[in-house]
Amino acid sequence: MAVSLRESVQLVSDPRNLDASIEEIFQLMLGVNCERTSEPLAKEPESVTAVVGFGGLLSGACVFSCGSSAAMKIAAHMTGMDFDEVDDTVKDGIGEICNMLAGAWKGKVPDLAANCGLSVPAVITGRDYNLRVQAPEFQLKHAYRFEDAGFAVTIVCDGLQ
Amino acid sequence: MSEIRILIVDDSSVMRKIVERSLRQAGLEIMKVHEAGSGTEGLDVLKVSQVDLILSDINMPSMDGLEFLRQLRAQNLAAGVPVVMITTESSEEHVKQAILAGAQGYIRKPFTAEQVKERVLPLVCAA
Repeated sequence: MAVSLRESVQLVSDPRNLDASIEEIFQLMLGVNCERTSEPLAKEPESVTAVVGFGGLLSGACVFSCGSSAAMKIAAHMTGMDFDEVDDTVKDGIGEICNMLAGAWKGKVPDLAANCGLSVPAVITGRDYNLRVQAPEFQLKHAYRFEDAGFAVTIVCDGLQ
Repeated sequence: MSEIRILIVDDSSVMRKIVERSLRQAGLEIMKVHEAGSGTEGLDVLKVSQVDLILSDINMPSMDGLEFLRQLRAQNLAAGVPVVMITTESSEEHVKQAILAGAQGYIRKPFTAEQVKERVLPLVCAA
Protein backbone atom coordinates (compact mmCIF):
# COMPACT_ATOMS: atom_id res chain seq x y z
CA MET A 1 0.00 0.00 0.00
CA ALA A 2 1.38 3.39 -0.98
CA VAL A 3 2.30 5.59 1.96
CA SER A 4 0.99 9.15 1.95
CA LEU A 5 1.62 12.04 4.31
CA ARG A 6 -1.19 14.09 2.85
CA GLU A 7 -3.66 12.99 5.53
CA SER A 8 -1.22 13.51 8.39
CA VAL A 9 -0.15 17.04 7.45
CA GLN A 10 -1.24 18.34 10.86
CA LEU A 11 1.04 15.85 12.58
CA VAL A 12 3.93 16.65 10.24
CA SER A 13 3.53 20.40 10.73
CA ASP A 14 3.04 20.23 14.51
CA PRO A 15 5.28 23.02 15.88
CA ARG A 16 5.95 21.02 19.07
CA ASN A 17 8.02 18.55 17.06
CA LEU A 18 10.49 21.30 16.18
CA ASP A 19 10.73 22.52 19.80
CA ALA A 20 11.28 18.96 21.05
CA SER A 21 13.99 18.35 18.45
CA ILE A 22 15.84 21.53 19.43
CA GLU A 23 15.63 20.64 23.11
CA GLU A 24 16.94 17.12 22.48
CA ILE A 25 19.90 18.19 20.35
CA PHE A 26 21.04 21.11 22.46
CA GLN A 27 20.77 19.16 25.72
CA LEU A 28 22.51 16.03 24.43
CA MET A 29 25.18 17.51 22.18
CA LEU A 30 25.86 20.88 23.80
CA GLY A 31 24.67 20.35 27.36
CA VAL A 32 22.58 23.52 27.35
CA ASN A 33 18.88 24.31 27.60
CA CYS A 34 17.24 26.44 24.94
CA GLU A 35 14.11 28.49 25.27
CA ARG A 36 11.88 29.61 22.48
CA THR A 37 11.72 33.36 22.12
CA SER A 38 9.58 35.83 20.24
CA GLU A 39 12.31 38.45 20.27
CA PRO A 40 14.00 39.04 16.91
CA LEU A 41 17.61 37.90 16.60
CA ALA A 42 20.17 40.63 17.20
CA LYS A 43 21.60 41.81 13.90
CA GLU A 44 25.24 40.89 13.44
CA PRO A 45 27.51 41.90 10.57
CA GLU A 46 28.25 38.27 9.70
CA SER A 47 25.80 35.41 9.82
CA VAL A 48 25.87 31.65 9.26
CA THR A 49 23.09 29.65 7.62
CA ALA A 50 23.00 25.87 7.22
CA VAL A 51 20.54 24.10 4.94
CA VAL A 52 19.66 20.41 4.83
CA GLY A 53 17.24 19.37 2.11
CA PHE A 54 14.38 16.88 2.44
CA GLY A 55 13.46 14.55 -0.41
CA GLY A 56 10.93 11.78 -0.84
CA LEU A 57 7.40 11.98 0.52
CA LEU A 58 8.19 15.46 1.77
CA SER A 59 10.34 17.89 -0.17
CA GLY A 60 11.67 21.03 1.42
CA ALA A 61 14.46 22.03 3.74
CA CYS A 62 15.57 22.59 7.31
CA VAL A 63 17.31 25.97 7.64
CA PHE A 64 19.37 26.94 10.70
CA SER A 65 20.46 30.60 10.96
CA CYS A 66 22.45 32.54 13.52
CA GLY A 67 24.94 35.35 13.89
CA SER A 68 28.66 34.67 13.97
CA SER A 69 28.90 34.99 17.77
CA ALA A 70 26.17 32.38 18.31
CA ALA A 71 27.79 30.10 15.71
CA MET A 72 31.13 30.29 17.53
CA LYS A 73 29.43 29.65 20.88
CA ILE A 74 27.58 26.59 19.53
CA ALA A 75 30.78 25.19 18.01
CA ALA A 76 32.63 25.84 21.29
CA HIS A 77 30.06 23.82 23.23
CA MET A 78 30.26 21.00 20.68
CA THR A 79 34.04 20.74 20.54
CA GLY A 80 35.33 22.17 23.82
CA MET A 81 37.46 24.61 21.78
CA ASP A 82 37.39 28.40 21.67
CA PHE A 83 36.86 30.27 18.42
CA ASP A 84 37.48 33.90 17.47
CA GLU A 85 36.33 33.60 13.87
CA VAL A 86 33.87 31.57 11.81
CA ASP A 87 36.38 29.05 10.51
CA ASP A 88 35.79 25.68 8.84
CA THR A 89 35.26 23.93 12.18
CA VAL A 90 32.52 26.39 13.16
CA LYS A 91 30.83 25.98 9.77
CA ASP A 92 31.12 22.22 10.06
CA GLY A 93 29.56 22.30 13.53
CA ILE A 94 26.60 24.42 12.42
CA GLY A 95 26.08 22.13 9.43
CA GLU A 96 26.03 19.12 11.73
CA ILE A 97 23.55 20.79 14.11
CA CYS A 98 21.26 21.40 11.14
CA ASN A 99 21.73 17.80 9.97
CA MET A 100 20.84 16.38 13.40
CA LEU A 101 17.90 18.75 13.68
CA ALA A 102 16.52 17.70 10.28
CA GLY A 103 16.91 14.04 11.26
CA ALA A 104 15.36 14.48 14.70
CA TRP A 105 12.46 16.51 13.30
CA LYS A 106 11.52 13.97 10.62
CA GLY A 107 12.04 11.16 13.13
CA LYS A 108 9.06 12.46 15.15
CA VAL A 109 6.68 11.16 12.46
CA PRO A 110 7.33 7.47 11.64
CA ASP A 111 6.11 7.61 8.02
CA LEU A 112 8.28 10.67 7.46
CA ALA A 113 11.32 9.04 9.07
CA ALA A 114 11.04 6.04 6.78
CA ASN A 115 10.16 7.81 3.54
CA CYS A 116 12.07 11.07 3.54
CA GLY A 117 15.79 11.37 2.84
CA LEU A 118 18.22 14.08 3.89
CA SER A 119 20.81 15.90 1.81
CA VAL A 120 24.26 16.61 3.19
CA PRO A 121 24.36 20.06 4.83
CA ALA A 122 25.26 23.20 2.88
CA VAL A 123 26.59 26.13 4.92
CA ILE A 124 26.47 29.76 3.81
CA THR A 125 28.37 32.53 5.58
CA GLY A 126 28.66 36.20 4.85
CA ARG A 127 27.11 39.63 5.15
CA ASP A 128 23.97 41.16 3.75
CA TYR A 129 22.40 38.11 2.20
CA ASN A 130 18.82 36.92 2.18
CA LEU A 131 17.64 33.39 1.77
CA ARG A 132 14.27 33.07 0.10
CA VAL A 133 12.55 29.74 -0.02
CA GLN A 134 9.12 28.79 -1.28
CA ALA A 135 6.90 26.81 1.04
CA PRO A 136 3.53 26.24 -0.61
CA GLU A 137 2.56 23.51 1.87
CA PHE A 138 3.66 24.89 5.24
CA GLN A 139 6.47 26.67 7.00
CA LEU A 140 7.56 26.64 10.64
CA LYS A 141 9.86 29.41 11.79
CA HIS A 142 10.95 29.49 15.43
CA ALA A 143 13.57 31.54 17.23
CA TYR A 144 15.43 30.21 20.28
CA ARG A 145 17.86 31.50 22.83
CA PHE A 146 20.47 29.87 25.04
CA GLU A 147 22.75 31.83 27.36
CA ASP A 148 23.14 35.12 25.44
CA ALA A 149 23.03 33.57 21.99
CA GLY A 150 20.09 33.37 19.62
CA PHE A 151 19.32 31.39 16.50
CA ALA A 152 16.39 30.68 14.20
CA VAL A 153 15.20 27.45 12.65
CA THR A 154 12.88 27.21 9.67
CA ILE A 155 11.27 24.08 8.30
CA VAL A 156 9.94 24.68 4.82
CA CYS A 157 7.78 22.20 3.00
CA ASP A 158 7.25 22.80 -0.70
CA GLY A 159 5.78 19.43 -1.52
CA LEU A 160 3.96 16.66 0.31
CA GLN A 161 2.83 13.35 -1.17
CA MET B 1 40.50 -3.74 28.44
CA SER B 2 43.44 -3.53 26.02
CA GLU B 3 44.08 -0.48 23.90
CA ILE B 4 42.22 -0.43 20.61
CA ARG B 5 42.57 1.17 17.19
CA ILE B 6 39.48 2.78 15.73
CA LEU B 7 38.32 4.23 12.41
CA ILE B 8 35.72 7.00 12.49
CA VAL B 9 34.07 7.76 9.13
CA ASP B 10 32.03 10.96 9.03
CA ASP B 11 32.02 13.93 6.68
CA SER B 12 31.86 16.25 9.70
CA SER B 13 35.22 16.77 11.43
CA VAL B 14 33.37 18.10 14.48
CA MET B 15 31.30 14.93 14.72
CA ARG B 16 34.43 12.77 14.40
CA LYS B 17 35.87 14.59 17.42
CA ILE B 18 32.62 14.20 19.38
CA VAL B 19 32.51 10.48 18.63
CA GLU B 20 36.12 10.06 19.75
CA ARG B 21 35.43 12.02 22.94
CA SER B 22 32.35 9.89 23.66
CA LEU B 23 34.35 6.68 23.21
CA ARG B 24 36.96 7.91 25.67
CA GLN B 25 34.21 8.91 28.11
CA ALA B 26 32.78 5.41 27.69
CA GLY B 27 36.04 4.04 29.06
CA LEU B 28 37.69 2.82 25.87
CA GLU B 29 41.46 3.01 25.91
CA ILE B 30 42.18 4.24 22.42
CA MET B 31 45.67 3.72 21.05
CA LYS B 32 45.10 5.13 17.58
CA VAL B 33 42.27 7.04 15.89
CA HIS B 34 42.02 7.00 12.10
CA GLU B 35 39.62 9.52 10.58
CA ALA B 36 37.94 9.51 7.17
CA GLY B 37 35.57 12.04 5.61
CA SER B 38 33.76 9.59 3.33
CA GLY B 39 33.34 5.91 2.65
CA THR B 40 35.95 6.12 -0.10
CA GLU B 41 38.50 7.55 2.34
CA GLY B 42 37.51 4.91 4.90
CA LEU B 43 38.28 2.11 2.45
CA ASP B 44 41.65 3.71 1.67
CA VAL B 45 42.51 3.76 5.39
CA LEU B 46 41.58 0.10 5.80
CA LYS B 47 43.79 -0.94 2.87
CA VAL B 48 46.88 0.17 4.82
CA SER B 49 45.84 0.09 8.49
CA GLN B 50 44.52 -2.47 10.95
CA VAL B 51 41.67 -1.37 13.23
CA ASP B 52 39.64 -3.01 16.00
CA LEU B 53 36.44 -0.98 15.66
CA ILE B 54 34.76 1.05 12.89
CA LEU B 55 32.16 3.77 13.48
CA SER B 56 30.52 5.24 10.41
CA ASP B 57 27.98 7.87 9.51
CA ILE B 58 25.46 6.96 6.77
CA ASN B 59 24.65 10.24 5.03
CA MET B 60 27.93 11.31 3.41
CA PRO B 61 28.98 12.66 0.01
CA SER B 62 31.16 10.65 -2.36
CA MET B 63 30.33 7.24 -0.84
CA ASP B 64 27.68 6.88 1.86
CA GLY B 65 27.96 4.65 4.90
CA LEU B 66 25.85 1.81 3.56
CA GLU B 67 27.88 1.55 0.36
CA PHE B 68 31.04 1.78 2.48
CA LEU B 69 29.82 -1.26 4.44
CA ARG B 70 29.00 -3.20 1.27
CA GLN B 71 32.40 -2.41 -0.24
CA LEU B 72 34.08 -3.39 3.00
CA ARG B 73 32.57 -6.85 2.78
CA ALA B 74 33.01 -7.14 -1.01
CA GLN B 75 36.70 -6.28 -0.77
CA ASN B 76 37.13 -8.44 2.34
CA LEU B 77 38.58 -5.55 4.31
CA ALA B 78 38.51 -5.46 8.13
CA ALA B 79 37.06 -8.98 8.34
CA GLY B 80 35.64 -9.65 11.78
CA VAL B 81 35.94 -6.01 12.86
CA PRO B 82 32.69 -4.70 14.40
CA VAL B 83 31.03 -1.79 12.61
CA VAL B 84 28.66 0.62 14.35
CA MET B 85 26.64 3.13 12.34
CA ILE B 86 26.18 6.57 13.93
CA THR B 87 23.62 8.56 12.02
CA THR B 88 20.67 10.94 12.03
CA GLU B 89 18.63 8.40 10.05
CA SER B 90 16.60 6.52 12.63
CA SER B 91 13.79 4.63 10.92
CA GLU B 92 13.48 0.86 11.23
CA GLU B 93 14.14 0.64 7.50
CA HIS B 94 17.49 2.40 7.85
CA VAL B 95 18.48 0.15 10.77
CA LYS B 96 17.46 -2.91 8.74
CA GLN B 97 19.50 -1.75 5.75
CA ALA B 98 22.54 -1.17 7.95
CA ILE B 99 22.27 -4.59 9.58
CA LEU B 100 21.79 -6.28 6.18
CA ALA B 101 24.87 -4.45 4.90
CA GLY B 102 26.87 -5.88 7.81
CA ALA B 103 26.67 -3.40 10.72
CA GLN B 104 26.66 -4.84 14.23
CA GLY B 105 25.35 -1.74 15.98
CA TYR B 106 23.41 1.45 15.39
CA ILE B 107 23.47 4.74 17.29
CA ARG B 108 21.19 7.63 16.46
CA LYS B 109 22.45 11.22 16.53
CA PRO B 110 22.15 13.05 18.85
CA PHE B 111 23.58 10.60 21.34
CA THR B 112 24.98 10.47 24.85
CA ALA B 113 28.27 8.96 25.98
CA GLU B 114 26.18 6.44 27.92
CA GLN B 115 24.46 5.28 24.73
CA VAL B 116 27.84 4.90 23.04
CA LYS B 117 29.05 2.85 25.98
CA GLU B 118 25.98 0.57 25.91
CA ARG B 119 26.20 -0.11 22.17
CA VAL B 120 29.96 -0.20 21.59
CA LEU B 121 31.56 -1.80 24.65
CA PRO B 122 29.90 -5.22 24.25
CA LEU B 123 31.10 -5.40 20.65
CA VAL B 124 34.65 -4.45 21.55
CA CYS B 125 34.75 -6.88 24.46
CA ALA B 126 33.39 -9.71 22.29
CA ALA B 127 35.81 -9.10 19.39
